[in-house]
Amino acid sequence: MRLTPAVRTIYGLEIRSLLRDPRAIFASIILPIVLFPLLLLASKKMEKDLGDSAPTQGEPAQTKTYKYAITGTESEFVRQLVEGLPAPDAEGADTKPIDFKLVDVEDPVQAFNAGDLDFYVQGMTPDEWQAARAEKPTPVEEGAEKSETPVVRIHYRFDRPKSLKGSSTLRDKLHELRTSQRHAKLVAVGFPVDPSTVAASTTTNVASKREMSGSQLGRMLTMFVLILMVAGGSAIAPDTLAGEKERGTLTTLLTSAAARSEITYAKFLAIVTMGLVVTALQVFNLWLYLGMGLIDVPADYAASITPVTAIVLFVLYLPVAGLTSGVLLLTSAYAKTYKEAQLFLLPVILLLIVPTLAPLLPEISLSSAIVMVPIANISIAVRDVLVGQANGWLVGMAWLITGLAAVYATRCADRALNDENLVSGADTDRAELLGGPALFRKRVLRWFAVLWAVKVLIDFNVSFEDLRVTSLVNIGLVFVAAPLVMVWRFELKAKEAFALRMPKPIVWLAVLLGAPAGLIVSAMIFRLASYIVPIPTEMLEQLGQAFLPEDIPFWQLAVFFAVLPGIVEELTFRGALLQGLRTRYHPVMLCVIIGLIFGFFHFQIFRIPSTAVLGMVLTALTLMTGSIFPAMLWHALNNAMALYIGSAKVDLTANSWLAYAGATLALTLSLWVIWKNRTPYPGLRGSDRPSEADLAGVGETVSG
Amino acid sequence: MPDNDESPMKPHAVKTEGLTKVFYDDGRGKVVAVDRVDLSCSGGEIVGLLGANGAGKTTTLRMLSTILAPTGGQAWVMGHEVTENPQDVRSHMGFYSASTALYPKITARETLRFFAKVNRYPAARIEERVEYLIKRFGISDYADSRVEKLSSGMKQKVSIARTVAHDPPVLIFDEPTVALDVLNAIELRKIIAQLRDDGKAIIFSTHVMSEAEQLCNRIAIIHRGRILATDTLDGLRKKTGCHYLEEIFVHCTQETDTP
Repeated sequence: MRLTPAVRTIYGLEIRSLLRDPRAIFASIILPIVLFPLLLLASKKMEKDLGDSAPTQGEPAQTKTYKYAITGTESEFVRQLVEGLPAPDAEGADTKPIDFKLVDVEDPVQAFNAGDLDFYVQGMTPDEWQAARAEKPTPVEEGAEKSETPVVRIHYRFDRPKSLKGSSTLRDKLHELRTSQRHAKLVAVGFPVDPSTVAASTTTNVASKREMSGSQLGRMLTMFVLILMVAGGSAIAPDTLAGEKERGTLTTLLTSAAARSEITYAKFLAIVTMGLVVTALQVFNLWLYLGMGLIDVPADYAASITPVTAIVLFVLYLPVAGLTSGVLLLTSAYAKTYKEAQLFLLPVILLLIVPTLAPLLPEISLSSAIVMVPIANISIAVRDVLVGQANGWLVGMAWLITGLAAVYATRCADRALNDENLVSGADTDRAELLGGPALFRKRVLRWFAVLWAVKVLIDFNVSFEDLRVTSLVNIGLVFVAAPLVMVWRFELKAKEAFALRMPKPIVWLAVLLGAPAGLIVSAMIFRLASYIVPIPTEMLEQLGQAFLPEDIPFWQLAVFFAVLPGIVEELTFRGALLQGLRTRYHPVMLCVIIGLIFGFFHFQIFRIPSTAVLGMVLTALTLMTGSIFPAMLWHALNNAMALYIGSAKVDLTANSWLAYAGATLALTLSLWVIWKNRTPYPGLRGSDRPSEADLAGVGETVSG
Repeated sequence: MPDNDESPMKPHAVKTEGLTKVFYDDGRGKVVAVDRVDLSCSGGEIVGLLGANGAGKTTTLRMLSTILAPTGGQAWVMGHEVTENPQDVRSHMGFYSASTALYPKITARETLRFFAKVNRYPAARIEERVEYLIKRFGISDYADSRVEKLSSGMKQKVSIARTVAHDPPVLIFDEPTVALDVLNAIELRKIIAQLRDDGKAIIFSTHVMSEAEQLCNRIAIIHRGRILATDTLDGLRKKTGCHYLEEIFVHCTQETDTP
């Protein structure tokens, strides 16, 4: 793309308009410059409070006193033990002397809860210990499972920094004491040498300082940079296209001799400029604060960034800046008004941040399929560069792929300018006047965005002791109320909206076969995927265990987590959502989009892909049968079996390839039967009946 | 007015043949908004597109100005086809409608400079042109105020000046008076008539009968996407036997509405 006179003129207009808007300047440049260091300062402070017990240099040595009490049947034993602890050793002047102060209180538990004590120590007899463990299993160190001596238990609160620190110091001291006592005993029974020479075990960190700080910095850097770039870019992005649409200046501009590609290119450049300027300002700002000593950063951090590294980082981040700006521009192109563009910003920002977290995954490297994921690949490349272990070819490839994604996003924005519905978006809409189902089709995605936000709020802020209550609140508030309100508000016919029609009887049989087969096939896909993208084992374990509480009988689990969600979530997604979107997208796209939306309603990040695939299958099922009931049955069966597998601890990913082949065959057979007996969903895009090709495509997506 | 940098005037500055726009609407299904429209307009002529709301006026003009792509037929502006050569079409055309707004943060002078540049007016003559426009449209008093500070009457003048900033031979006015008060509307009509006298080819859409009667050399009556008649006012009178344009309009539309 060339810098034609039109591009330069429009670019100049964008920048000039922004510079003349004091409020935008304040919100996007001045405010962050003040807030950002404050945020860093606060996080540093918190880290210090919670952090390791090593005192920072320069602070005057002062005695830190931890108040505690002793309780339990073996309290006398504990008292002697603690009093017998070696006095704080004088290793160096910078070590803060530590003092434990025994406080005499009536009720240690109450005093502890009231905050008068930092922690309390309970002395238990071995029998009491065993009983307590049976009630609430706690991890213990090796050899302590069958203790024959009294057991010391320290009660502390993780959320009180002083409690945490004091208790852990005491625990370490007790460990030391025990080791030395054990040593003495061994010598007493005639053990010839110091036990540490027999079984010496130490841990040694082989990473260099640069590598350590590099990997620490590299994990977070891309996220920070991206947030800064988005902050800068979004100062101008909502106005570039959406704001112009709303004001009517876009029509003026579109009827000028500037080509549409020139318009998007100029606006893209303006967003990139703002993103880079704000990022640069913040980096400078940070450097200033560091120089003034307002923020202290370990010297290794600074050392890990040489001028050459800084240049490499800048070049690496260019395509990220491009992609971020392209996505912001695209968001602006799709929004009809300034407000709408701002509304879209938050989810878009979250979506952009997710890939920057890639370096946090253990064991992930650029030599896996992650190199194909824009932004994620750059953030790993940056980590590798900072650690000093970058592979030039792979880094180059990552750069290229993210760069191509940036070009693609800008192209999409370009195309959006040619989309008549989007260009003339600000005109009064017939549907808005008429209301009813036509309006529902326009508003359905907005409704689901709100629904998603409500679910996020509930899930993250309200927690119930009982999982059953959680399930009911979710189902009741989000999934029953929402579709009913939509039906009422837009005067939809329930039978149409929820596809309440009967499929052919044979479909039921096919579902009974297909649902279990589908579960096994998805396990297979997961396993195949794990060959391409290394999935950490903890993640696999979490996936298997799910959430099974052991105090709820299985039949209740089945009702609350299989049958009810099966019915209710289908009404929401394959009912209202599908009805609203049916004329907007091609049937194959419908499956993909509804599947993805369904996936994003399940927040645990590891569940999104699998639920999204399930959602696609269920959408295809509803499209083929024109009925919601087979999807309900499939969904309920799927959940019930997943529950059963979870509780019976069956590992599906360990199945033999023969079983996988069989399951794939069964799934294909099931879908083939459903396809042969299809009674298509009415009123899809294009024609009254979806064409053969459409649904054949759907079938492929499903079994693939 | 320094005009006519064009080669010898082509017979028609604007011409359409079978111009058609069909779109798909969620509520209504397939909608034929513009149905095989034939239009022409030459330099020094105002052609009025007269029709009720929703008749297809705006869609027709939006196709001419390349905002919308036609689904059938062809249209030329100064010999350039709208789908083949949209940029050349736009550089020879000024488009004004009630919804074409101005950028609020720049001054009137900057606005004119911006549109002259974007519309490829020769760079060396831009300042001269801007000065001329400021004088001609009487905006010297507020030429250096930001557009957001101007009154609606002032904005309207700046808007017209920006429409002709690059001295285009073709001007399209899409219901320009719809949001104006009486005085401003009269002022605008006066300016449009002057522009015609300068030799511009002007297409003008309206649903106000008196406006069409007063201003247009020829009138095209459009109804449900189709042109029912195109002629001078006298020609239309002869054809229909009615005197007032209102009667003519009702006569024509009733003919098509009753099968």
